[in-house]
Amino acid sequence: MHVDNLPVGSHAAPPQGDRTPSPAPPVVTARRVTRTYGRTRALTGVDLDVRAGEVLGLVGHNGAGKSTLMRVLAGLEACDEGTVTVGGQEASRDVAPGTGPFRAVRMAYQETSLCPDLTVAENIWVSSRHCLPRLGWRRAASRAVARRLDEMFPSHRVAPRDRIEDLSLAQRQMVEIVRASLVDRLELLILDEPTESLGPDAARSLYAYVRRLTAQGTAVLLISHRIREVLSVADRVAVMRDGAVVAERPAAGLGEQDVLALMGAEVVEPTATPAPARAAGERPVVATLRGATGHGLHDVSITVGRGEVVGLAGLAGQGQQQVLERLWRPVRRDTTVAGTRAYVPGDRQRSGVLPLWSVAENLIVTAMRGLARYGVRRTGAEDVAVRDWVDRLAIRGGADAGMTELSGGNQQKVIVARAFASTADLVLLDDPFRGVDVHTKTDLYTLIRQEAAGGRSVVWYSSENAEMAHCDRVYVLRAGRVVAELTGAEISEERIIAVSFAESESTGAQR
Amino acid sequence: MTNLVASALPSRAGWRRTGPAMVSAVAMVAMIAVCSSLQSEVLTVPGLALVLSTTVPLVIAAQAQMVLMAVGDIDLGIGNFVGLVTVITATKLVSSPGTGALLLLGLVAAYAVLGALIHLRRVPSLIATLGASFVWLGLGLFLLPTPGGSTPEWLASFGSWQPAGFPAPLLPILAVAALVWLLSARSSVGVRVRALGSNPVALQRAGLRPLAARVVAYAVAGGLGVLSGLVLASQTGGGDVSSASSYTLITVAAVILGGGSFAGGTAVPWGVAIGGITLGLVSVVLSLLDVPSNMQSAVQGVIVLAVLAGRVVVGKVLR
Amino acid sequence: MTLRTLARPWIWGFAAAALVWVLILAISNQGGGQTVSLALSLAPYLVIVGLGQMLVITAGPGNIDVSVAPIISLAGFVAVQVTATTGSVPVGILAGIGTGLAVAVVSVVAILGLSVPPIIATLAAGLIASSLTLSLADGFTAVPDDGLRRLLNLRPAGVPVLAVAVAALTALVVALLRRTTYGRSLLAVGQSRPAAERAGVPVARVIAITYLASGALAGLAGALLAAYIAPSPDLGTRYLLDSVAVVVIGGTLISGGRAVPVGIWGSALFFILLDGLVNLVGWNTAAQNLLKGGLVLFVLFLAGGGTLRNPGATTRSRRRLRPAAATTAGTSTGENSNG
Repeated sequence: MHVDNLPVGSHAAPPQGDRTPSPAPPVVTARRVTRTYGRTRALTGVDLDVRAGEVLGLVGHNGAGKSTLMRVLAGLEACDEGTVTVGGQEASRDVAPGTGPFRAVRMAYQETSLCPDLTVAENIWVSSRHCLPRLGWRRAASRAVARRLDEMFPSHRVAPRDRIEDLSLAQRQMVEIVRASLVDRLELLILDEPTESLGPDAARSLYAYVRRLTAQGTAVLLISHRIREVLSVADRVAVMRDGAVVAERPAAGLGEQDVLALMGAEVVEPTATPAPARAAGERPVVATLRGATGHGLHDVSITVGRGEVVGLAGLAGQGQQQVLERLWRPVRRDTTVAGTRAYVPGDRQRSGVLPLWSVAENLIVTAMRGLARYGVRRTGAEDVAVRDWVDRLAIRGGADAGMTELSGGNQQKVIVARAFASTADLVLLDDPFRGVDVHTKTDLYTLIRQEAAGGRSVVWYSSENAEMAHCDRVYVLRAGRVVAELTGAEISEERIIAVSFAESESTGAQR
Repeated sequence: MTNLVASALPSRAGWRRTGPAMVSAVAMVAMIAVCSSLQSEVLTVPGLALVLSTTVPLVIAAQAQMVLMAVGDIDLGIGNFVGLVTVITATKLVSSPGTGALLLLGLVAAYAVLGALIHLRRVPSLIATLGASFVWLGLGLFLLPTPGGSTPEWLASFGSWQPAGFPAPLLPILAVAALVWLLSARSSVGVRVRALGSNPVALQRAGLRPLAARVVAYAVAGGLGVLSGLVLASQTGGGDVSSASSYTLITVAAVILGGGSFAGGTAVPWGVAIGGITLGLVSVVLSLLDVPSNMQSAVQGVIVLAVLAGRVVVGKVLR
Repeated sequence: MTLRTLARPWIWGFAAAALVWVLILAISNQGGGQTVSLALSLAPYLVIVGLGQMLVITAGPGNIDVSVAPIISLAGFVAVQVTATTGSVPVGILAGIGTGLAVAVVSVVAILGLSVPPIIATLAAGLIASSLTLSLADGFTAVPDDGLRRLLNLRPAGVPVLAVAVAALTALVVALLRRTTYGRSLLAVGQSRPAAERAGVPVARVIAITYLASGALAGLAGALLAAYIAPSPDLGTRYLLDSVAVVVIGGTLISGGRAVPVGIWGSALFFILLDGLVNLVGWNTAAQNLLKGGLVLFVLFLAGGGTLRNPGATTRSRRRLRPAAATTAGTSTGENSNG
């Protein structure tokens, strides 16, 4: 068996010439699949068929469960309930990628799964070693990867001896896709945001290759934020929302607006009463970014007034965190921040929780500095502040509970309280409410409004567009640029979704 | 635009990678030049052999350190381990070669077990190998409380081997570097080991076991440590458990000078050979320059800091 | 609760010390009190160095000070020389502390300014210090101050004065960790550097103070040790391994974030008593090293990366040394992007 044998075999369905989805046998089937992380239900019962020889587009907003579903379909993790069937074989509970039925399912990851210190050929060995000869694997892998790169991306300029860390982002993405496709038998190829860092030419040649693959009976699952792109390539489109597939439609005849509507633009969340919007000009300015460029930002200008809640919206990773980073550490000339700052991190486990400490210790660590005299803590004043905040936010377990004994929502309360307990003038929120239960969220929204009314400024990045209703003003970012500024009644989930997905021809070539 | 940048990248990246080893190589050549200008006999074959011989065990031990640093670990026990090997060589390997050889194999196995425990118990290698260094020291003192013993004949004859055409120490240095290069840079085992240091997530996604990679790395490091001890014993003609205690930290410095990093993922056997020779030559140069040998360690320290400072500057320029 | 108490490894330092003490009592016919008194007069030097090393290790993974040994030797010479020149013991001791600080400044500049990993930075600083030591040792004639030596040997009612002073120092470190913003910040940095940074802790300053403190304490130990024994280039050699070992056996969390100053006394006494036992039985130092190393590994592998305590929730965050575990878990919770 050779690595670059294309999957033409008895298992594959007869080639399909036309694009009309015909009832070909499904290569992968998911039935009532659920998956829970801690208290977050990432998948709430997914039913999905991927049929041989089709391109199935998978769309959905942030946190709809796309990533988790892909990981389950690729055999990277098992589902809690339900079944996943690959090639007619039901997957067992102790799954491992590349074993059993999952050997014929390959996935190209958005963040790539390449080893940066290894060469292209060596990375191919890591993922496709069972299709390579024991001796001379390097030459075989080099030849295979070079040939496949030529087929998929004629202008790749990647040599098999190049190290991944020396490649550009686009080239890494190409290698990642080629890596996933190089296997002796390929039934399903999962592409996660494959064109995110590719230029328009590379994207075109990729999709041309995808067409050739499907013509030979391979199924392709395409995940992308670029809805127009999905519609032009896919045979069918599956829409995910809140951990389930809510619609499966043929792509033909479907418009961008239809998909956006299916994705949740029509959902009416319990409405929060937005504060009466005051124009930014009426307030004294606390922080500004003037044409900030570099580190993923392009000419971003933002002002934050005193007592104002400013939202940063858009798809994940479009530069919102870079804006927060600049405000947190205003070292560049294009950023000015008057007053002290506090930061509420979104990645609780990594940069929020101090795991060995109690709730009280976690809560007071920022405020401690302001309360202390000559570097010596004033525990009395600290205790008062802690008790006040524990009561105010109703933190379960009380001040003396271990931080890690708390639920995610209560941990997040402590970390939010940590920032607001300090005397900071500007509080930066880095999508802190992802995976937090509704009650906690409501408490924290109220807190934010109260604190803003008290004269504090808040800059709030959120991937949940509904949250933006609590802001006075919202900047929507895409590809490191501010593409819209919404105020007061303009702020709505539909508007934000529409603005963040709207494609211009240039976005593909940006990076 | 992207493509233009991309095509310019490899040369820069290549420079960034080989830069440290190049700087070390320049330092090495400069040192040999200084030596030869002071003492012209240095450039003769026996002269070079004399100058290089002390660096051989250090370079081999540095290769062991490099293998562990490739998986992102660090070995603070290598000095005493090499010392223990010289002790076994000078005692058991002479009295009963069979037992001696078994003991040395046992030491390699002990390293593998240490690696497995570090992986399974998720403890920092820094502290675990430090603890192990006590054990190596204890075992060495147990076998041979005071320096002494004698080396087996075959080893002694290797130590005093003087071929006509080229300096003898170059042979083990180059042979070991080539071996480690084949193993770490060319073989699939090496790919596993470097992948573990580079991106363990990718390793798992591909269905490879990180434990196996770490155990292999530790076993290879143990084997190289044994080799280093054998060479050291052949030169000193006896065993002394503390004869190599300075190796522990100097080997780390040699790897850094050779272009390795603490982050793991890179294997630089040729750079390590150069870095090890550079650090080993410091004493020779200083003695020829009539600088008191006291200053040797300070010069080593300054060299390490200067190279690292240079790297920071180069990194900023290239960015 | 009992499991928690058992899982506190600092108990083993004291337990091992008590065990060795009982053994000594059983073997020799000298008084048990005398043994303890002797151990108490030798242990404080190790405790001083151990306290500094503990602060460094508490700062989190990768932090270690390998310059303590050369600092001790160098500070010994400097302190004796300055005392002999000025005739003042306090000035001599301050000179020793200053020496430690000066070497630590080199490490701190390298760590923070050049982003050199701590082990290499302190190694380089230590190499420079040991060169200075050797230069000073050439033709060194000054002798340690007799008054200081007598003070260090003073044992009213069998309790060494130095032990009391170092006990006070230990209490000071405990207070430092509990009561000052620096102490709390250090513990926060050790638990999670990104979390501490986001919580507004000045991480760089905390790291700098920590290494300076370790250098100063090593300098102090060197100044006292030189007066107690005699200045020599090998004065500090054994203190590198021993200082790390007493910290580990003493129950300080090796992955950082929790310091147990009291535990250092237990393990330091254990090490000193072990020396006594080995001398008494007539074992060579081999057994001593094997025991030390064995215990370090035992404690280390038993305590593990936190799996023994609170399984589940905490393990992930405690295993910061291996980013792999964290990354796998992190990628599963939400959408990723390479922004």
